[in-house]
Amino acid sequence: MTTTTSWTVANSRKLARQESRRRLGPMAILSHVALLLWTVLTVVPILWTFLASVKSEDEIFGDAWSLPASLRWDNFARAWEQAHIGQYMLNSVIVVAFSVFGTMLVGSMAAYVLSRYPFRGNRAIYLLFVSGLAFPVYLALSPLFFVVQNMGNVPLIGPFIGLNTHAGLVLVYIAYSMPFTVFFLSAFFRTLPTAVAEAAMVDGASHTRVFFQIMLPMARPGLVSITIFNILGQWNQYQLPLVLLQERDKWVLTQGIADISTAAGYDQDWSALFAALTLAILPMLVVYTVFQRQIQAGLTAGALK
Amino acid sequence: MPDTPRFTRRELLRSAALIPVAGALAACATPASKPAASSSAAPVATSAANPFGVSDSKPLEVWIFDGGFGQDYAKNIHQPLFKSKYPKVEIKHNATKEITKVLQPRFAGGNPPDVIDNSGANAMDFGALAQDKQLQDLTPLLDAPSWDDPGTKVRDTLDPAVIDIGTYDGTFSVLGYVNYIFGIWYSQKAFKDNGWAPPKTWDEFLKLNEAIKKSGKMAPFTYAGKFPQYLYEVLLTMAAKIGGPEVLVNIDNLEDGAWTTEAMKTSATAWAEIGAKYLMEGTAGLDHVQTQTAQNKYKVAMLPSGSWLENEQKTTTPADFEYGMFPVPDFTGSDKMPYGTLHSQPSENFIVPAKGANPQGGMEYLRAMLSKKAAGEFSEMVKTVSTVKGAGDGRQLSPGAASATKAYTEAGANIVYYRWQTWYLQLKDEAVAATGELMTGGLTPDKYLERLQKKADEIKNDSSIKKYKR
Amino acid sequence: MLFNRYRRGLFITAFLAAPVTLYLIYVISPYIQAFYISMTDWRGVSATPAFIGLENFRRLLEDGTFWKAVTHNAGLLVLLPLVTIIIALFFSFLLNVGGGGRAVGGIRGSKFYRVVFFFPQVLAVAVVAVLFQQVFRPDGSGMLNAPLMALGAKPIGFLSDPGVAFWSVLGVMVWQAVGFYVVLFSAGLASIPADMFEAAQIDGAGRLSLFFRITLPLLWDTVQVAWVYLGIIALDVFAIVWVMTDQHGGPDWSTTVMAAEVYRNAFQYFRFGYASALGVVMFFFTVGFAILSLRLTRRERIEY
Repeated sequence: MTTTTSWTVANSRKLARQESRRRLGPMAILSHVALLLWTVLTVVPILWTFLASVKSEDEIFGDAWSLPASLRWDNFARAWEQAHIGQYMLNSVIVVAFSVFGTMLVGSMAAYVLSRYPFRGNRAIYLLFVSGLAFPVYLALSPLFFVVQNMGNVPLIGPFIGLNTHAGLVLVYIAYSMPFTVFFLSAFFRTLPTAVAEAAMVDGASHTRVFFQIMLPMARPGLVSITIFNILGQWNQYQLPLVLLQERDKWVLTQGIADISTAAGYDQDWSALFAALTLAILPMLVVYTVFQRQIQAGLTAGALK
Repeated sequence: MPDTPRFTRRELLRSAALIPVAGALAACATPASKPAASSSAAPVATSAANPFGVSDSKPLEVWIFDGGFGQDYAKNIHQPLFKSKYPKVEIKHNATKEITKVLQPRFAGGNPPDVIDNSGANAMDFGALAQDKQLQDLTPLLDAPSWDDPGTKVRDTLDPAVIDIGTYDGTFSVLGYVNYIFGIWYSQKAFKDNGWAPPKTWDEFLKLNEAIKKSGKMAPFTYAGKFPQYLYEVLLTMAAKIGGPEVLVNIDNLEDGAWTTEAMKTSATAWAEIGAKYLMEGTAGLDHVQTQTAQNKYKVAMLPSGSWLENEQKTTTPADFEYGMFPVPDFTGSDKMPYGTLHSQPSENFIVPAKGANPQGGMEYLRAMLSKKAAGEFSEMVKTVSTVKGAGDGRQLSPGAASATKAYTEAGANIVYYRWQTWYLQLKDEAVAATGELMTGGLTPDKYLERLQKKADEIKNDSSIKKYKR
Repeated sequence: MLFNRYRRGLFITAFLAAPVTLYLIYVISPYIQAFYISMTDWRGVSATPAFIGLENFRRLLEDGTFWKAVTHNAGLLVLLPLVTIIIALFFSFLLNVGGGGRAVGGIRGSKFYRVVFFFPQVLAVAVVAVLFQQVFRPDGSGMLNAPLMALGAKPIGFLSDPGVAFWSVLGVMVWQAVGFYVVLFSAGLASIPADMFEAAQIDGAGRLSLFFRITLPLLWDTVQVAWVYLGIIALDVFAIVWVMTDQHGGPDWSTTVMAAEVYRNAFQYFRFGYASALGVVMFFFTVGFAILSLRLTRRERIEY
């Protein structure tokens, strides 16, 4: 009886859906107009940049919407070779890969302990981490420079984690990603059921094993989501590398773009600036478009906690 | 204004990035520095030919600011000349756009290089370096015989302003190599083709603006709207012309009411009128490159700039453009200073670090740079005017450099300058902000000057800001 | 039992050691040092800056530019979340519910829109700032002014008119943020059982009442999270202002923000002591906002 009823309801809904899909009412048209408008607003500045990247210097200073007389691919050559965009991008990839991995590892460890193991001082440590969410980083910049400089004097490992080292930057990224990561992952761990972990403990599994083999897999959606946040955040990071990496061959992409923008003023090479912008934008859009399902799914998981 | 381009370029850099952070932070590294490595091991005997005792065995490390002038002049002119006398000295040539970022850590570490062209957007702060005793006293250089003539001291081959401006805390320690000459720049071709003539009086200037506007061929006037310091440069120069050089001296010395003098009011009112009537459309949002390029495309007739302009624009200037420069016109017949008065200031500042490994070599390098041959070839190559007297004589100068040199010669002693903008950056930023507003009509001339006076008073009363006098 | 407690303690220590150490070294210690520096006259050169107590704080009370910056941050704090959330809610509602297509699951092409809207979010702020500097060029070479001028209108000084520049900054920030919140709200909407919408639709609810009676209340939690995120972005904003605007917060200080003033004083005027004092004030504003919003948002979730 019940099955029949629900079948009928489902069926009628299906029919209703089909029906409503057929007529594209005025509201739907308006909706599309609104959505298309925002699409244009989003895409056009980016496409315009791409267009300018194949223009000559004169054309860039001319009418904004004129098409280039010929495609100046050499702009890209200059951006790539003289401005080292390729090197910067590689540096960014290396730094972000290690730092995001590190962030997720130590961040989830901290978040897990803080969310599931009551002990004296737990709340204090948690608050210490979370309060970092509200710290304006500009306050810390100059002392941080000296901290990293001093880390360079630590015996043995010093040369690897001081100023002008990618490892040093990775450690700083990890530290500055802690507040956000710990805050959200603890919230996430708190929502996970305890039964499985307790059963495993009763079976004699160690705390560490429970964490790596049971809790982490369960927390996967949350981890993915926070990982994406961290990748975006660290990829876009600008002030920290600027302070900590001074050697050109160590620079990350954001520094490189800023530098080309500077150089454009000296050498009047705005076309190379647009080419460099294109080189910075395009791979991000491609990677994003390829993985957008996972990225959006990750964000979804994050939003639902 | 020791170097407007330095500041405009700095602006540009600033606008582009946070790059100065690193440099500034490196600057903080100074206190942590170790005592300097001893640099005076085994002195070499000095002689008239080798006045500082340059040792053949010590390498010489040179850092050039790779900006508007590039770095080729150092590699192809200065270093070969130095080598011709000291073939055994190894010169390590380096260039960067980011002097502070690269070199400040070297100062902090106690091993700075031997010669630095401390210029450009990220030049190190001279005051801080001087305060920290990082700058070699260059007085011996002034007293040494010149490269060309043992009978003449280096001091006498230089524009006196170089010594005045390069003196920090009583010690001459910064060598300005280029004379920046400021004025209003135009295309001699455009003027000839249209029958326009460089104006001598403000009245003629207004009429010329009107004529250009009416002609419909191009806009009459523009300035780097994003960097209004280009405009207050002519405004201040004209005020000095009207009221005498003390107008600027008082401003530099933060005297009470220095900004609100009658001369300043007259000048501000006059330029505000240009802002209201004759500016190229969109000026307020354009930078120096954009406005200068517009001029190269004959979209605008005149703009205020300095003698680096021609070199800066070399890639976009049409071959027959023929840059010309005229001085700020007479406001009335009763101006305190005569027609032709110029704002000029030495710049492109070279220093020799006191704690470097080879300060003797560094000073000798500067002595070579100050030879007539080196300075002359330099002027020719980068189309500019050096601070070495007569270096451009008999050289094939480009039209703009020739025009600026002529104006400079004609000005004679009627040279004015100001330094407040390098001494008090806060005041500079306020002046930049307010001048933009003056030119777009957001501030009346009175309100404009009141605002700057208020800021100057604030700085005067702020004990934490180091004060300078001239 | 004792052994278990020992094991537990060891585990906690081992897991917290790395994160806490890193955090103390790289985050907490610089902040503590900054608080001390704020009470000195340090200008970056002298090894022993003089301790001047609260002098810097007294001075900043009279610093007109800084307070201008504070009002801009305050403006952004209200406007950025408001505008972004309204636009994002509107679009996510259109995409998921109100499109007139299938009742739930979205309008045709919703996937495409969501992907495109998110584009700006994956670009670095520095890149966006440089990009919009070009887009906003004040003459015919500017992407926006070229069509305006073609239509015979006067070009707008997006960045050069002090009355407009702040709105340009806000516009760029909204432009970059909207996509993220569309995705966030869409995710929230997707978790609302489809039945609720369908039931309401069958009850004859219009789109407007659908939005206000169902969407908004059920998304309220997510909206609050969004508000906190955007609020912190508004208080911390720096790169957009510094890189994009004329004279770094101009023209005529019309776009400057707290972070820009901290930076300007530290790295351009070399007044590290004073800049740190500004930073401390900024710190208290941000922490204040965070505590306030945590207080306000700690409420029962709507269960469904």
